[in-house]
Amino acid sequence: MDWKNYMKYFTNNQNLKVNMGYTSWRKKIRVIFFLGILGILGTSLLCLNFGVVSIQPRVIFSILSHRSAESTNYLIIWQLRIPRIIMAILAGIALSTVGAAFQGILRNPLADPYILGVSAGAALGACIGIALEYISGYYLTFYLPLFSFLGAIFSLFLVYKSSKVSLSEGSSGLLLGGVAITFLFSALITILLAFSKSELHSMLFWLMGDLSTASWNKISIIVLPVLLGCFLIFFSSLDLNALALGEEEALHLGVNTSKLRVRIFITGSLIIASVVSFTGIIGFVGLIIPHITRLLVGPDHRIMLPASAFLGAIFLILCDTLARFIIAPTEIPIGAITASIGAPLFIYLLKRGYQ
Amino acid sequence: MFTFKKYIFLFTLTIFLVFYSSHLFSLAAQIDYPLIVADDTGISVTIESEPQRIISAAPNNTEILFALGLGDKVVGVTNYDNYPEEVNLIEKIGEMSPLNLEKIVALKPDLILTFAIFQLKEIERLRELGFKVLDIEPVTLEDTLERMKMIARVCGIPKQGEIIVGGLLQRVEIIKTKVAQIDSSRRPKIFIGGTHEIIYTPGANTLFDELISLAGGENIARVFSGWIKINPELVAEKAPDIIIVPVGVMNPGDQSRIKEDISKRPGWSNIPAIKNQKIFIVNEDLFYRPGPRLVDGLEKLYEIFYQ
Repeated sequence: MDWKNYMKYFTNNQNLKVNMGYTSWRKKIRVIFFLGILGILGTSLLCLNFGVVSIQPRVIFSILSHRSAESTNYLIIWQLRIPRIIMAILAGIALSTVGAAFQGILRNPLADPYILGVSAGAALGACIGIALEYISGYYLTFYLPLFSFLGAIFSLFLVYKSSKVSLSEGSSGLLLGGVAITFLFSALITILLAFSKSELHSMLFWLMGDLSTASWNKISIIVLPVLLGCFLIFFSSLDLNALALGEEEALHLGVNTSKLRVRIFITGSLIIASVVSFTGIIGFVGLIIPHITRLLVGPDHRIMLPASAFLGAIFLILCDTLARFIIAPTEIPIGAITASIGAPLFIYLLKRGYQ
Repeated sequence: MFTFKKYIFLFTLTIFLVFYSSHLFSLAAQIDYPLIVADDTGISVTIESEPQRIISAAPNNTEILFALGLGDKVVGVTNYDNYPEEVNLIEKIGEMSPLNLEKIVALKPDLILTFAIFQLKEIERLRELGFKVLDIEPVTLEDTLERMKMIARVCGIPKQGEIIVGGLLQRVEIIKTKVAQIDSSRRPKIFIGGTHEIIYTPGANTLFDELISLAGGENIARVFSGWIKINPELVAEKAPDIIIVPVGVMNPGDQSRIKEDISKRPGWSNIPAIKNQKIFIVNEDLFYRPGPRLVDGLEKLYEIFYQ
């Protein structure tokens, strides 16, 4: 679908005119934040009850309220389930915010960190980092996000260069380049796996996504880059709104679009790299959550970006809970769940939205 | 007179058994904990006391534990465990990769035996959480028997471990001496097939290849290293005398049709193994799992090659 037609649907819709007004957005954003935080807390508390080991809600409550109890259940709740849920929240926020921002700056509904090759670049960077860890013997876990970031930036650079080579119109050229780079980097990861004797075989999860080894340690490494990065993107909302009207219109409105692109790309890569270095590539979230959010709250980025962050977080918590619960004790890769739930939901909302 | 003899016999037997078992018991508490051992992830693991609740995160570890008589201490095994039969009664922890950490934690193990090639990330996390993880990842038959002794030491039964491993070594030696007498020109060329259309066959530096050599065969894929996707032309060219098809989880298939399928592969009709119908179906677990049953596998191969 063409971005212009897609946005026209919203501009023809009364919602946009209301949303674009400066009077109601402050009120709206408060409601979004209130509902979003409430939603995340509620979903987290609900999903905390699900797991391969059944623990009574009463017991969970007592473990949550007095942190002193040293028992197996305590370990399961505080060291396994809660870090996993928080990791899902961070990954959800990161993927959907960056997805929404990328769709905004490229004015293309298909843009998403996965399709643009950023996720694959980040995963390749992390894999190289892990390989180096085994070759050199140094403990590099804390530097994995750095490796991912370099990988993500490198892939974006390649995508950008390749889109300049191809003569097609700006954003679709970028997407084609992104798809090519995703394939190339996934292939490089596979080759890296084939070369390594054994070290990286357990890292096959980079290609499918996995939250099972989330820990407080890893969360503490990525929480700041993810949240700060998302706030930086939120502050570009007005520029993104201007860009939604068109490239020229944005220039007339005084937005330096090329600078905006560079800013969003670098911030987005930083966010994605932080998450991917510990969770692997989780597809589909960055693509569909922004669309669903746009259908729910309209296209104004000031409201849409935070809303899609919250929705992404809730969505990933639910997906991860399903991943570890459906056929326990066996776990399903989270990427399979996000795709198989996300796609039908997206189609349904799309159909309903257009009627 | 006859009954008297019988009594004497029973008497000596009892004396012997009592002596022997007391001998074992006296050795049972011989290990001085804490014990420090180096595992296959290259980390020194300190074992503070005799493990009572062991989780085996790979079928070969389970087989080792049962062979050592430690089966009653195993509290968790993977979905892939199928030997010995008692494992069906033991709680399942799920897939080998990724390991379900919550399930493992809930079983409160004091020792977890892993297989790092699939489980590196989970091992790191389990160690962070304070669990004792011992990675057992042998790559040769000798390694496997060494690891068995190590597990016996860790579990406080070093003498029993020596005896059991000694028995296995003896069986290996018997095959070795038999094979040494066979002229090298008489050694059959062996090809390890599979039930999938694309056949992965073991090259040099694999357990399977080691067993083939020990049993007096010549693996046609020896020129390669590790498990490789073999080119069917190469098999035709190397003209193996015997084709062995391992069957199990990795090679599922209808037993009755395997021989027919292999025989009908294009371009293979002139292979001696196929002309003479020297195709043998074996249980893959005896060759893929670095555990005590490798010796069964070795004996099986010798039997196929020379009988």
